[in-house]
Amino acid sequence: MNDHEVIVADRPLRECNQDIRDGIDRGLAVRVIDTRSRHNLGIGLPSGARIHFEGSVGYYCGGLNNGASIRVSRNAGWAAGEAMASGDITIDGYAGVSLGASMRGGLIHVKGDAGPRCGVAMKGGDIIVEGKIGYLSGFMAHAGRIIALGGADEACADSLWGGEVWVAGPIASLGVDSKTEEPADDEIQEIETLLATRGLDDASRAWQKIVSAQRLWHFESRDASAWLMI
Amino acid sequence: MHAQRHRGADSTGFALYGEPLDTGYIVRAMVAHRHELSQVLELFLDLLRAHGSDFLADPSWDEATTDHVSVRMVIREPNSLGDWIRQVDEHSDRIEVQSVGRSLEIVKDLGGAIEVAEKHRVHDFIGTHGLGHARMATESEVSPTASHPFWARPFADVAIVHNGQITDYFTWRARLERKGYRFMTGNDSELLAVWISDRMSQGETQDDALIRSLTEIDGVFTFLYSTLDRLGFAKDRWAIKPLVAVIGEQSLSIATEEQAVRTVHLDEIEVVNFDGPSLTRTWQTNVSLDRAA
Repeated sequence: MNDHEVIVADRPLRECNQDIRDGIDRGLAVRVIDTRSRHNLGIGLPSGARIHFEGSVGYYCGGLNNGASIRVSRNAGWAAGEAMASGDITIDGYAGVSLGASMRGGLIHVKGDAGPRCGVAMKGGDIIVEGKIGYLSGFMAHAGRIIALGGADEACADSLWGGEVWVAGPIASLGVDSKTEEPADDEIQEIETLLATRGLDDASRAWQKIVSAQRLWHFESRDASAWLMI
Repeated sequence: MHAQRHRGADSTGFALYGEPLDTGYIVRAMVAHRHELSQVLELFLDLLRAHGSDFLADPSWDEATTDHVSVRMVIREPNSLGDWIRQVDEHSDRIEVQSVGRSLEIVKDLGGAIEVAEKHRVHDFIGTHGLGHARMATESEVSPTASHPFWARPFADVAIVHNGQITDYFTWRARLERKGYRFMTGNDSELLAVWISDRMSQGETQDDALIRSLTEIDGVFTFLYSTLDRLGFAKDRWAIKPLVAVIGEQSLSIATEEQAVRTVHLDEIEVVNFDGPSLTRTWQTNVSLDRAA
């Protein structure tokens, strides 16, 4: 079956997204070309949709994903996959700030690095980053897993409420109210099984599992000085 | 800049660096009321002569129908740029100087990038580098003079564009005013330009002053600061404000959003995302710079 091709260039965004939906409605795989790092491409796509952005995309690509399989062959700007419910997003290059912000389910897989605040406020689902996750990654996440194979920048898992951040490689520093925990063998097995679905399993990794220290769960204003970073 | 118009475009401005004069300054100014233009220029000339200066060429101005008029003048160097501009600024309700420099020319106005560029013939300008800014005002007024870029009064050839909010603005403004600096707007971006220039006037390099700003200035910001021969940026410790660049051997394109630099570079090319916290960098500008927005 032929693909449905969508050219973005400098066309109005609404027209591009409508064009994408037309291809999906016809049951076709969608190829999006000349993307020029434009924002808000491929938002709220339904289950069963297959879409390939052949270039870099701007902010919020794949946001509110509802089951589509999305691939970006270069970089994604800020907040790719924001608030997604299900489906998967694969980014072959770098993912910008706030990747998967507030996501509730599904999988995001980044082959390069991810910027600051990766998985900020996430409520579920999995983020796999083959490179490094940026400053403040996992900030205020409630649930879900962030798995970084190439280390983490400063303030990793800052103010983590729930969920887990798994890091193989060096962690520049932990953020406030997070702690490393010795992972059990069956937990490691679960992570490696997930990674195997992406061809990334490697039994030799030294994992650090970071969870909430849970002291901020009972925040009192008289303790504020313990949390201030300035 | 047009590619970033969705961020707001109540006003737009350009800081353009042309071939530097060997002697004298180019002055860009806004006259408040067109019907007063000739009287205001006479007043301006009197103030120049009182400070050992004069016009080196006839002034020129836009022929638009707006009440405010953008004027370009070439002047002999006043005996003291600081003393002269302080006196001129006493008449800022009638004429507000927007830039002074051997090379720098700031033009700014109400409206979007295309409109302002056409009105002020920005496309005809030839130079080494420039800053541009499309503004969505958040905390200070919208007017032709309140838009970016800002000149760092009274430092010749220094301009700034800024995306952010400085939360200790009033504290720093009071300190700088006690040192004799004057501000024409209530805009925190104007403060940043003077803050960096003040540090440099005390012997710091541009790089060192930018690094110092990360810890001494509170707020979220990314700003570009330019002199005649060096362009740099600083980005706050919280990594809040975006910045991307395409860095070539002989060119630099730098902007808030990747899609802006991609209007210059249509092909998929290497884009540097300055996404991390506490970042600064400067570049020499005596090579050709193609865009900065």
